[in-house]
Amino acid sequence: MTKAARYGMSIDVDRCNGCGACMVACAVENNIPPAHAGANDRKGITWIRVYKVDNGKEYPEKRSAFVPVLCQHCGNEAPCVHVCPQQAVDVDPATGIVEQMAERCLGCRYCMAACPYHARYFNWWDPAWPAGMEQTLNPDVAPRMRGVVEKCNLCHGRRHAAREQAAAAGVPKAEPVEYVPACVEACPTGAIQFGDLNAPQSAPALAASSGAFRLLEKLGTDPKIYYQSKKPWVREMANAPRPGARKEQQHG
Amino acid sequence: MIRGRVLFVAGMAVTLAAGWAAFPRAIYRRSAQPVNFSHKVHTEKAGQSCEDCHSFREDGSFTGIPSLDKCASCHAAPMGTTAVEKEFIDKYVTPQREPEWRSYAEQPENVWFPHAIHVKRARMKCEACHGNQGTTDTPRVFERDRIGGYPRTTVHAGMPIPLGMNDCVECHRAQGLNHSCLDCHK
Amino acid sequence: MLAGGSAMGALLTPAPWRLIKDASLLSETWPGVPRPKTGTVATRFTNCSLCTAGCAVRARCIGKQPVQLAGVAGHPLSHGALCAYGIAGHHLPYHPDRLKSGAAEEAMAAVSGTIAKCVAGERVAVLDLRPGRTHSWTYRRAMNAVRNGLYLTPERQWRSDSAVDLGAAKVVLSFGTPLLDSWGTPGNVIAARENFRLIQAEAVESRTASMADLWLPVRPGSENALALRIANRLLDSGANSKDLPAGFRERVQMAESVDTGIADEQIRAVAGHLSSGGPALVLAASGSPDILALNLLIGAKGRTIVGRRETPVPEQWKNAAPETELSTVPDGSLRVLLIDESAPGEYVPWSSIERKLAPAAVVVAFAWSRDGYGRHASCVLPTAVYPESLDDVPAAVDSVTAAFRLSTPLMEARAGVVNPAEFVGKLGGVDAAGALRERADAIAKSGRGSVFTYADGKSAPVKQMKSDDFWKALNEGACWMDDRDAKAPLPALHFRERAASPVAIAEERGAAALVSPLMSKVYEESRLRLGKRGVALHPSSGLADGARAMLETDCGRMEVNVTLDSSVPPNVVQAAAGSELSDLCGPSAWAKVVRI
Repeated sequence: MTKAARYGMSIDVDRCNGCGACMVACAVENNIPPAHAGANDRKGITWIRVYKVDNGKEYPEKRSAFVPVLCQHCGNEAPCVHVCPQQAVDVDPATGIVEQMAERCLGCRYCMAACPYHARYFNWWDPAWPAGMEQTLNPDVAPRMRGVVEKCNLCHGRRHAAREQAAAAGVPKAEPVEYVPACVEACPTGAIQFGDLNAPQSAPALAASSGAFRLLEKLGTDPKIYYQSKKPWVREMANAPRPGARKEQQHG
Repeated sequence: MIRGRVLFVAGMAVTLAAGWAAFPRAIYRRSAQPVNFSHKVHTEKAGQSCEDCHSFREDGSFTGIPSLDKCASCHAAPMGTTAVEKEFIDKYVTPQREPEWRSYAEQPENVWFPHAIHVKRARMKCEACHGNQGTTDTPRVFERDRIGGYPRTTVHAGMPIPLGMNDCVECHRAQGLNHSCLDCHK
Repeated sequence: MLAGGSAMGALLTPAPWRLIKDASLLSETWPGVPRPKTGTVATRFTNCSLCTAGCAVRARCIGKQPVQLAGVAGHPLSHGALCAYGIAGHHLPYHPDRLKSGAAEEAMAAVSGTIAKCVAGERVAVLDLRPGRTHSWTYRRAMNAVRNGLYLTPERQWRSDSAVDLGAAKVVLSFGTPLLDSWGTPGNVIAARENFRLIQAEAVESRTASMADLWLPVRPGSENALALRIANRLLDSGANSKDLPAGFRERVQMAESVDTGIADEQIRAVAGHLSSGGPALVLAASGSPDILALNLLIGAKGRTIVGRRETPVPEQWKNAAPETELSTVPDGSLRVLLIDESAPGEYVPWSSIERKLAPAAVVVAFAWSRDGYGRHASCVLPTAVYPESLDDVPAAVDSVTAAFRLSTPLMEARAGVVNPAEFVGKLGGVDAAGALRERADAIAKSGRGSVFTYADGKSAPVKQMKSDDFWKALNEGACWMDDRDAKAPLPALHFRERAASPVAIAEERGAAALVSPLMSKVYEESRLRLGKRGVALHPSSGLADGARAMLETDCGRMEVNVTLDSSVPPNVVQAAAGSELSDLCGPSAWAKVVRI
């Protein structure tokens, strides 16, 4: 049997400059269409989305940071996997990727409610490209019809291409393949790094063992995306204290 | 009562006949391949093997049905005397038009089938999924399901059948392979 | 009974079960969803021409169609980076706003006719929004041949004879320059970032400010005064004071009483970093001479601001019209103006151009869409768009040596596009089609520099190459870089009178004329950037987030969408750059936002 991988990422929030190259590269790789006229903040499809967060102070003490959020690829207790009535999502034991199957999805959106990271997106409309732009579609990823939920699959199209190339090159066993997701390749500052958490020298593994934090850790979802930052308020924000929590702390 | 029974049996007979004989014909739309291509001539007379036309590219992807330049590399001028070849050259080679081949093995867009892994690693034979294509003198008539869109891929026990997901899963299970959804889907 | 029998019979046939299965399979092959084209995948290389960074591009193509663009790792300038615009660049040829047709023959007739009828004092001009290209030389040569011809450029802070050496800097003080947000060559800036301390003086807490080592939240409008107060500290500590602009010392004294929003100790500390933190550099988004003069005081010339030779040019081209700045042309003297908007650069507000036009002037714009000067010109002609167009990209401001790189077309341009260089070349009897090859040959002949080829990631000196091989390499994806010239003359710092910085601050500079419809991800769907007609205001403005409002300036008004953002100080409007906004705010010192 081949060795199981646990693909994960390390994201250095201090390096992210909010340029959005990862968002555009993800959309190009995964055949995500341009916004429908009715799309807004909550109805758009952004498998990876960069949020602007700040330290909560007023100008000019305000300091901002940019945090890319994608599917966190939770461990075995992924909330979306639990709630799906169709088994359209599952955790792949060989790679650790939480795989979203648009083909099985019936569009109930229960998983969108269950995901604490709001990392799942619904196709409110059939995808439509301006005339001729369908020729620019990536053949490695199938476009989805309306009525299904989709999310980051850690660039399964690129993983497929890497597996095919490895087989053609005569690699005997299906080892966890090495490949680079689109957002990682696009990030100009190198803030996003990808690798196998089971391989001790990979960037995510090193981040995990050296004080990186994860989003909403107290929920116990065991996500595979590790964040790094030297700013204490960024760490604090990752635990999402309830609004008004600071005031309460002043009392106790 | 007897009239009732006769009607019942008549009704049954009609729908059974329709369902078993007429329905399979009706559910499939038939079309012909653009060229009456003979695999037999190319394997026997021209001495070619499958890989000469259906090959792997450098990046591991499979060429599938060859494009026009593969055919034109030999058939730029007639190599035999058949009318079929002449028609092919006039209609496709000379005007540089790709023939509109219909692929029996066509799958929906969301299916990923890597020939490299099945042929080079698993060492499967072409016939296992494509049937006896390589030995025919004329291409099998192309039949596509009018609703679901699947073509009748291969011939199994004398019957042309579409290959769907369950056929792949059966084989993967028999081989004891891990198969999670994104292993085969795009 | 008949019905009963039929139903029973039907259930015993495969028909109903098959129909159920097929209906569910229909969702796999839903006709409303396009199927991507398949075919042989090929890798091609080019250089992006959306801005002067000219980043190297590796394109994954299906047949002739690029389907994915990425950077080229190991490139000495771009280091494999490609920005969000560049990543979606292959969508531009299909942009719905793209101009499809234009009356090229009528335009040519109108232009030649008007040229023939020009009287004394009336000029014929080409306005080149991205000077320094080979096409720019074609325009200069053509305008030299045309009677009364003029070659015009926008006002430029950095000309081709000088560059910023970020790699040599240890301290960078930036007044509003978006250094970490699409300035210069992004890959180069990121690679150099670890080596210098960045101090960002800006009213808004921009991306660059949030990532700087120190952010000075200067009071809007007092940037000049802050610079002068820093200059005062530097002069006190004995900085070299030669060649300062006229009246500098008087303004330094007056600045002491201006409230800049920055404490005295902070100003002293910044001056300390500049004078003793190592080679330093001062950048100014507004180009204000008082701010740039700091570079003289800190000895940046020759250290972080270096001279740069020009890319070699064929000898026979030297007979060309000089580069003239648009602002120096007498008002009302241009009878014919041809604007090349096909290589996007900074947008010059229309009012600055309009005042130079003679009555009944003929203005032809060459553009991808009607949104820029097409709104004002007599006629707009469609051009090829990246990645269909063939052009060369001049070296960016942070490239310490000259560079020559071709943006080779990855796909064929559609029928009906006009090549502005050929149009103008025809007017002056200049062969535009062969110009790029002639330039490449001149470079090969000079023996200077080396070529970095993208396919193999290797670098080779030009001296060892034949001109045919050099041309072939450039077309297959390569970048020529000059040798560093130790003897390059120190650049002059250009000082000029500048209008006060407007209160409306543009968020992005020099964005491409068209952006992929996919950029909706970055604008509408995530609000990561202000979209077209977007403005950001401090929450105290009293408007609601997402409200529509009117932006009013001296020049006019425009409907905008409001985003509330406390990174913007009260009483400041932050807006996304664009041609409409520039026309509105360009020379205007103030803006007002009114609820609709």
